Amino acid sequence: MEIFSIEEREAICDTFSRLLGDMAGEQKLRQVIETESGFDAELWEKMSELGLMGIMIDPEHGGIGGSIVEVEALMEQAGEYLYSGPFISTCVIAPTILSACDDDSLASDHLAGIADGTAIFSVAGCGKGGDWSQSPEVQAEQDSEGWSLTGSSGFVSHAAIAKHCLVYAITGGAIDVFLVNMDDSRIEITPHSTDDNALRLSSLTFNGVDAQRLSGVGQEAIGNALQNALVALAGEQVGGARKIFDITIQYMKTRHQFGQPIGNFQALKHMVADLLIELESASSAARHSARSIATDNDDQHLMAFLAGFTCADNFRKISADAIQLHGGIAYTMEHSAHLFWRRAQSGQWLYCSSESLRDMYLKEMEKML
Amino acid sequence: MSDTLRAEVEEWLEAHWDSDNRRAVGTDVYDQKNWLGKVVDAGYATPTWSKSWYGRELKQKEARIIEKAFQKHSAPGWGCDRFHLGAITIYKMGSDALKAELLHTLLTGPICCLLYSEPGAGSDLAGIRTSAVKYGDDFVINGQKVWTSNALEAEYGMLLTRTDFDVPKHQGITFFIFPMKQEGVEVRPINQITGESEFNEVFISNARVPERYIIGEYNKGWKSFQAAIASERLIMGMGVTARAGRSAGSKAPALLRLAHRHGRLSEHALRQEIAQALAYRQLNSLNMQRAVEEIKNNGMSSLMSLGKLSMSRIQHGEARLSAVILGPQVLLNDTQDARHANFDAAKAYMNSIGGGTDQIQRNIIAERILGLPRSKDVDREIPFREVQTGG
Repeated sequence: MEIFSIEEREAICDTFSRLLGDMAGEQKLRQVIETESGFDAELWEKMSELGLMGIMIDPEHGGIGGSIVEVEALMEQAGEYLYSGPFISTCVIAPTILSACDDDSLASDHLAGIADGTAIFSVAGCGKGGDWSQSPEVQAEQDSEGWSLTGSSGFVSHAAIAKHCLVYAITGGAIDVFLVNMDDSRIEITPHSTDDNALRLSSLTFNGVDAQRLSGVGQEAIGNALQNALVALAGEQVGGARKIFDITIQYMKTRHQFGQPIGNFQALKHMVADLLIELESASSAARHSARSIATDNDDQHLMAFLAGFTCADNFRKISADAIQLHGGIAYTMEHSAHLFWRRAQSGQWLYCSSESLRDMYLKEMEKML
Repeated sequence: MSDTLRAEVEEWLEAHWDSDNRRAVGTDVYDQKNWLGKVVDAGYATPTWSKSWYGRELKQKEARIIEKAFQKHSAPGWGCDRFHLGAITIYKMGSDALKAELLHTLLTGPICCLLYSEPGAGSDLAGIRTSAVKYGDDFVINGQKVWTSNALEAEYGMLLTRTDFDVPKHQGITFFIFPMKQEGVEVRPINQITGESEFNEVFISNARVPERYIIGEYNKGWKSFQAAIASERLIMGMGVTARAGRSAGSKAPALLRLAHRHGRLSEHALRQEIAQALAYRQLNSLNMQRAVEEIKNNGMSSLMSLGKLSMSRIQHGEARLSAVILGPQVLLNDTQDARHANFDAAKAYMNSIGGGTDQIQRNIIAERILGLPRSKDVDREIPFREVQTGG
């Protein structure tokens, strides 16, 4: 994996942005979330054709060998167009985990499947608490037949459409990662109703499910997968935040009350000036953290945690204030503001809460003492 | 070119500056006026300026070579074309006669103070009332200025006056370079809430300034003044950049060390607040790094204008948290930690009020960066005499 040149990165982002302009966005999202799966297979296929699924996968496995810097940039586009799909689990977390696996033929088969768009992955990375930094609640046991999993995972996204699932499970004292096929009948999938219908979450219960242990995947790979996921999500949040912020500023220039654009009123001006700081801080954090990881910098954990809570909190703040700044019109389902706001609300709890990330950030800081 | 220049400056400094004793070669004591005179005459004080006015018509990049050599030798006098506001303003806007009369004097020593704000004209600076009335070849000045740094030492001040009360407020202003050392100019230090006295009030009664000391044109001082403060903002911006660069070091932040010293790092709620405070500081420094990159690539960055407002939240927040960490101990000025916390809490207002309050900054960000409509001042079009006052 390597960081692309600015021109290469812009080219791939432009391509993705054009595709999203054609096939994603607000209207499309409203249709997709009404479907049973909540998944746009056609868009997924087009993304595969463009090679986007292999963004983090080496060319020898059919990918295009980019880094998390490219992922972050793509996710900003995804966020702008309210893209929803199993991209982070399949194209960010799974390749990070699989690349660390020392069973080469297993890893390369699956990486190739991801790169060509045929394998969708979900990841069962946490227990009922929903926090990926906490211990999972699935137990793995080995007998002469191989490994089997027992227990439950919570908050697993896109389980119904995934072909495979990576399951974090306890083996003795350590945490290992296991691969299961989702068509195994001993996996019980319980889909939940969610406030944001773009988000499909299920609980998985494993009743002695056969699993392949990914040897060589330990704490470091799990940590890398989490930080990559956080930065990818941070990028998506920056894209969403920038879009709804721009929509709001435009509205403030055109909406008139008391014979003048509402952007004339100081109370509103001061709100958006403060929001601009939050927006730019989120952008800086997401982009800087991606670069820090891609260059294997010492501060990469610190930066990923910083980006994690900053982008989640600031997207939530910007989208929430956007509704307030619009007034009544944004209190309607027809208006787009709530779509960004719901996306922001749910993003606050994926992988780790901001509260948890702030604590992890401080722990990294404490190492300097 | 750059190597030749570097060699030339090095050679000149070797010949003229005794860096061990910090004085000119062949002298017993540092004589500021004399030394700065040499630097100015050699063209090293204002290398980007025209050759007719003590410059060498160099590019910024080349000028930096001179500055670096001076810094290396700990020799004063460099960078006047970037930092000497008085001289820069006269150079840019003064008549040739005025430049001939004052530029060399200004560059070789006397500090130049800024006589802008008044008790009744803070955020709304165009509301100044200090009057300048023509009397023969002079103008007679009456009024009061405030928040003036270095007023006691300054030999000249850049003075904003009202010369016409019967036109709208921006149209009756005249900008002067004003001699401070005269009868009728009284300087009183201001006692700040930090206990410091960095600023002064300046009372001016029947003091005089020659007509030829007008910067720009009569009654068009607001325009000249805008150009002058543009230089000032540029200097403040550079300060932000330099600070951003310094804070990237690896040492633990002060607030974290304070919490550690006082054993408060095991409390969950406090940890959350400390983490957020550290994050705000780090995010601002990331924003400023991005600003520097953007300036390098595109020549400008709107991120720069966010730094000052961000810094207010950082400073007020850290000061408040320092007190929370200390608890009731902060009431007792026995310890350095308590003294610092109390000082910082007061000093934070320097950033959130000085150089434009946070609220004015928010207007500027909303109007100039986000392009929201400029609010109309109710007093913009009416004669200044009819403008309501009070407070």
